[in-house]
Amino acid sequence: MKLLRAVRVEDCFDGSSVYRYFFDSVWSREEIRRLGELGRLDYYPDFPRPFFRVVGPGGAQLRGVEGERSCQVVLPRQDRQEVIERLERHFS
Amino acid sequence: MTSIYLNNAASSWPKAPGVAEAVRRAVKAMPAEPGRGSGHDTDPRDECRSLLAGLMGVPWPGQIVLTSGATLALNIAILGCVQTGVRSVVATATEHNSVLRPLRHLERQGAIRLSVVGLTGDGQVDLEQFAKALAGGADLVVVNHASNVTGRVNDAATLFRLARGAGALTLLDASQTLGVLPVRPLEIGAQMVAFTGHKGLCGPEGTGGLYVSPEMDLPPVLSGGTGVRSDLPLQPDEMPMRLEAGTPNSPGLAGLAAALRWAASDGRLEGQRRRDLGSLLRRSLSQIRGVHVFDAGCPEDAGTGVVSFTIAGWPPDEAALVLEECFGIRCRAGLHCAPEIHRWIGSAPHGTIRFSVSGANTESDVEAAVSAVRAMAAARAEQGEAAA
Repeated sequence: MKLLRAVRVEDCFDGSSVYRYFFDSVWSREEIRRLGELGRLDYYPDFPRPFFRVVGPGGAQLRGVEGERSCQVVLPRQDRQEVIERLERHFS
Repeated sequence: MTSIYLNNAASSWPKAPGVAEAVRRAVKAMPAEPGRGSGHDTDPRDECRSLLAGLMGVPWPGQIVLTSGATLALNIAILGCVQTGVRSVVATATEHNSVLRPLRHLERQGAIRLSVVGLTGDGQVDLEQFAKALAGGADLVVVNHASNVTGRVNDAATLFRLARGAGALTLLDASQTLGVLPVRPLEIGAQMVAFTGHKGLCGPEGTGGLYVSPEMDLPPVLSGGTGVRSDLPLQPDEMPMRLEAGTPNSPGLAGLAAALRWAASDGRLEGQRRRDLGSLLRRSLSQIRGVHVFDAGCPEDAGTGVVSFTIAGWPPDEAALVLEECFGIRCRAGLHCAPEIHRWIGSAPHGTIRFSVSGANTESDVEAAVSAVRAMAAARAEQGEAAA
């Protein structure tokens, strides 16, 4: 699963920023499980469309829906560049 | 997965019967340049004013200024008042940013002194604090008829009676109420009423207006073309032209006229439908473990159909994302452009999840939304237990 592009959606009052990451394939159950390498993974397989959230490096959050080609990413204010690079490595 | 729309406090959907057709007809028709002597019968403004006057129980259709929405209407009212010498303004913590931001801007410029009155523990405007603010000198009082966060309806009649007793002008923001609850300026003592066409009236976006009492002499904030009296160097003095500059949104107003015709017939039940569904939502959500409903002391819906709540373990923005993308429930989360009220109801800084129904929603829509919230609360609780 490769990251194609990242679009900044909005900035939050606490200094974090919300992005939407777009990928070359859909979020499969396997790819969601692999997110566990980044941090704590919460997965809700029983929702009509399964939802996932991972709290990863530096407090960054990825959240999205199984079967979609994109997900929402909340990037912290601190150490943002390092976090971005870590995510890019994961999705390279 | 089908979608259920519960974001009617932001904008109603679906629109009233006949709105889409009226807009389409107006766009397709040859423009008549309303007020500019074409003689064609395609200017919807007179009908809008007449129907709005009837809805508000005022005998002066010419005192209804048509605008692009409540934000422009509120700015026209507030900035116009400041031009006439208003220097001290009292507003409530329930106000929307369309009131707070113009007022804060004027305050920062040093043009006005602003008092924002807080709420009591049960969500009412604090009358003691309100009276104190009036005693400190108030030239203008702005009151939100109903909160777009809690759905609570303010007792505008009492607040305006006190305001007028103190010699203040009165401005009502009826964005959440016109079309769903009675908005009667003469009965509640509102000298100005700002409203929008796309919420309770179920008309198109880009429409709204301002009722201005004939006893007021509100100067224009905008100047420009009026189609007639072009020989005058300044904006014409007569109402409503005085406060309307530029080419009107004729297609939007044609849609608004259709919505108003509907409101005068079937739409009369809109408030009751919202009350019933809103009350069902409040009761059902309140019974879910881990859900906190910000009912502000009102277990029954006031007729606005607006319910704010939080789900333990789900930040509001994430909850709204899950509700929409996983369950097909379209709602809104956050501060809802009304930051002050969240400090008083205990939902700052992240805000709430808001469901807002219209008369077009059904009991099964409400049941589906409640069921989704129940599933989310249970899933989070299970995860918490597993982690423990």
